[in-house]
Amino acid sequence: MKVQVASVGVCRFGKRTEGLAELAAEAAGRALDGIGRRPVDLLVVGTMLAHGSHGPEALLPHLAGRLGLESASGFRVEAASATGAMAFHVAAGAVASGRYTRALVVAVEKMTDGTTAELTGELAAALHPSEVAAGATMPGLASLVTQRYIQRFDLDPAVLDLPTVHARANASSNPNAQFQKPVSREDVSGSRAVALPLRLLHCSAITDGAAAVVIERGSGSASVLGLGQGFDTLRLVDRADLTTFAATRIAAKRAYEAAKLTRKEIEVVELHDAFAPFAPIHLEDLGFCGAGEGPAWFERDWVRRDGRLPVNPSGGLLGRGHPVAATGLVAIAEVALQLRGEAGAHATAHRPKIGLAQTLGGLGSHNFVTILGSPPA
Amino acid sequence: MTDEPAALTLGRCDACNARFLPTDGPCPRCASVRTQPYSVPGLGTVLAATELANPPPRWPNPHRLALVEVADGVRILGIVDSPLPAAGDVVSVRRDGEVYRLRGEPTPS
Repeated sequence: MKVQVASVGVCRFGKRTEGLAELAAEAAGRALDGIGRRPVDLLVVGTMLAHGSHGPEALLPHLAGRLGLESASGFRVEAASATGAMAFHVAAGAVASGRYTRALVVAVEKMTDGTTAELTGELAAALHPSEVAAGATMPGLASLVTQRYIQRFDLDPAVLDLPTVHARANASSNPNAQFQKPVSREDVSGSRAVALPLRLLHCSAITDGAAAVVIERGSGSASVLGLGQGFDTLRLVDRADLTTFAATRIAAKRAYEAAKLTRKEIEVVELHDAFAPFAPIHLEDLGFCGAGEGPAWFERDWVRRDGRLPVNPSGGLLGRGHPVAATGLVAIAEVALQLRGEAGAHATAHRPKIGLAQTLGGLGSHNFVTILGSPPA
Repeated sequence: MTDEPAALTLGRCDACNARFLPTDGPCPRCASVRTQPYSVPGLGTVLAATELANPPPRWPNPHRLALVEVADGVRILGIVDSPLPAAGDVVSVRRDGEVYRLRGEPTPS
């Protein structure tokens, strides 16, 4: 059965004073308004850390009652930073199966009530226990990936400042983005060290935020064309090559095959730039260019909203913010907004027909690719 | 004067032929319990190393980590107890409970 994104709701990202359920309700309310309050019989909710007024345990019934969905079925999912993508894939499959008519998918994260030390520890829960035992952090391991990438392709490390400059420029025209001001290459290279060569502005921020999407039967400009996911070893040292995320390659292959199309037909991409050097790696893993060729796409401005392949027109994780569990659903929501012609000030120069969203779970151990667009005529 | 590096015990899997560390428990690749220990020199080559500006709670600051290749292509993530090594440097590797401790060789003067 064909299914489509019928409505999208995204809240403003950044430091928010509202609690977890209220943030989720804000995004959900917008998505429900978008379908004229037609009935929803499935609620899928995703959250991971849930700092603030209460934890994630009671979020599902809290939200169902808050939204007047007492008669809907409900599930809560969790897949670290891919939680939002997993929620979407679960709901799309459930509606496509014919069991449900219309699903509301909500993903939310409340991070700014935690200290950096607390959050660093909690985010490390997505790493292998032996890595946590060695005192590793997400930026620490991302630094090792970055160094291997630089070594293998003999890159000028300064080229890896460009994804941040690109992201912040795009975010400055997205009113929901956490960061509203562009940054220069000098701002990036002059920011404080986090785990060299990674500096503060190479890393996505601590963010509160939520997104919601309504999925229903039928076809339209944001039909679900292909879903794919893939796993990789949790422990980084067990990966033969650190300069690629094998789980993305698996997920992309499955999604392209399901959609019966190739990367040449993709006209907009939202990818998981949790760290600036990951953006070119993802372009390579998604098949848009060969290994080591991703950085040139940023040098040549091919990724701008008016470029050959608009990448992260919303600002991505580096510009829009990274509320971990919400991120995967925001990426899908933003692609849907572009396809539906609802992206407003951050719309791409040409309205796309096919778009792709990619999300990493943890440090690439469980990745998702989602292809949306107009079904072939 | 340099001491001979202590030996490091690696595991070899009879089922899938993987070589691995640590050696406790089943094969990390295929979960077979048919594994054998064997000894290699406690030395490794640094592939990448970094210093965390914000180590997790209870860790000293600075906290340095390195990705190191020991014998037979086996890689470990180790804690560096010396100044930050560069890629290509050889370090000593010592198991310390559930972690690995790395130390750079003294620079010849």
